[in-house]
Amino acid sequence: MKMWLRQHLFAIKNALPRPGRGFGSFAFNVLVVAIALALPFAGLTVLENMRPVSAQLAVEPEISVFMGVDTPRARAAALAPEIQQVLARNRSAAIMEFVPRENALNALKERSGIAEAITTLGNNPLPDGYVLKLAGFDNAQDAGRVDQIAVELKALPGVDYVQVDSAWVKRLSALLNVLRLALLLLAATLGVVVVAVVFNTVRLQVMTQREEIEVSRLVGATDGFICRPFYYSGALLGLAAGALALGVVALGLRPLNAAIAEFARLYASEFQLLPLGGLLTALLLAVSAVLGLCGAMLSVRRHLGRAA
Amino acid sequence: MAMIEFHDVSKLYPGGSPALSGVSLSIASGELVFLAGPSGAGKSTLLKMIAAIERPSTGRVLVNGQDIGGIKPRGLPYLRRKLGLILQEQRLLMDRSVLANVMLPLVVTGAAVEHAEKRARAALDKVGLLAKAAGMPQSLSGGEQQRVSIARAIVHRPRVILADEPTANLDRDSANLVLATLKAFHGAGVTCVVSTHDEYFLDRADRVIYLGQGRITEAWQRNPVAEVVT
Repeated sequence: MKMWLRQHLFAIKNALPRPGRGFGSFAFNVLVVAIALALPFAGLTVLENMRPVSAQLAVEPEISVFMGVDTPRARAAALAPEIQQVLARNRSAAIMEFVPRENALNALKERSGIAEAITTLGNNPLPDGYVLKLAGFDNAQDAGRVDQIAVELKALPGVDYVQVDSAWVKRLSALLNVLRLALLLLAATLGVVVVAVVFNTVRLQVMTQREEIEVSRLVGATDGFICRPFYYSGALLGLAAGALALGVVALGLRPLNAAIAEFARLYASEFQLLPLGGLLTALLLAVSAVLGLCGAMLSVRRHLGRAA
Repeated sequence: MAMIEFHDVSKLYPGGSPALSGVSLSIASGELVFLAGPSGAGKSTLLKMIAAIERPSTGRVLVNGQDIGGIKPRGLPYLRRKLGLILQEQRLLMDRSVLANVMLPLVVTGAAVEHAEKRARAALDKVGLLAKAAGMPQSLSGGEQQRVSIARAIVHRPRVILADEPTANLDRDSANLVLATLKAFHGAGVTCVVSTHDEYFLDRADRVIYLGQGRITEAWQRNPVAEVVT
């Protein structure tokens, strides 16, 4: 175990760039890989910031059930158990609120700013209604279930109109899915770029250290001993580039947030982009390191055979 | 007991004449054997086969009873750790200190740095270069570089030392020091196989195998092997 650890420490020491021993080219390669990684990282940051918004919208879709204007209050009030039965049949739960027509009219007067015009109507033209906030809806697929509930509610006696707000939830969810897919494709493409850059970097390292590799083989070095510094070098390159890309994205959020804050104010919102969380940051760093490692492994397998 | 055995070994390079042709020989454990012959006689090829740098086209080469033709690439490092290689071109790593060069055969086995450094200093002391341990190889003369490569070959206490023209381009004093070092290891029971053109060496040898055009043309032994070993 100790020997194993010693060999890995030796490989790490050999893999670390030092001034006068490939430090300049290492730094340049880190920059190139970081540029490639920054784009998907930035996209992921935006999507991650939008996720809570879309999740909240998708989780609590609303259904408004409007009774007929001539439906008696007693009938409207008695509808609650039947609505619960519909929800139960569809394995759903909801926070249900009965909104009497008087309350609806008062709310309309307060919010719309056309109170005087409403007063001139004389009779209350609004029906009694229910507002259902459905719980346990996680994604766009659940929106189909909302539609089914709406159809069944519409069939209840006394119900005139059912309004479902799941359509725009579906649209937003579909849009986010498209963005996610686009980001995935972009990340895959740039991942290949990262692997290619590391592949070439390690190829050059193998060429420059050919003499050292040959001498090491002659004195009894195993392939593992010879390959390990290159593996660490590739992983280190990926890790450093990932950290740099995350730093660049975090710094880029500052000026972007200033512009977003200005835009959000127009919609009385305070939305702003936050840097990625600790877990996701660690995951991206790990992915960067693994991409570097993959590039190094491919390169070493291809070029060490030739060096031999 | 035979440490090295060649059984009817031939080596053919594509498009070339045979480097070795039907060579059979046996070198006992602890023996010091010189290979002599003109350039292109097959001396280097024979040494490379013992180190499994080259494989025989036909025949068998056994090192310590192990057929090198049957060793998989994964097993080669473990064979080479039993050998000490001294090459005509020293092949020192010029971006590392003399000490680091000598430590290399121990470092590749995963030895502790302190232990490797101690052994490397002892090996450098044996070849008279301890004072230059911290220097870089390019600051040394050709003879000194060859002595560093000898230190590197002996630092891990190999069972067999293979030396390919170790005294080529060395002055007489340096050549004598190389010979003395090899004899010291021979005296300690290490099997040594040395290829050389140096008549001065051959005159003092106990056993010489002459090669010509890939074949053994002459072989003689001053004393029985048993006496050498004891």
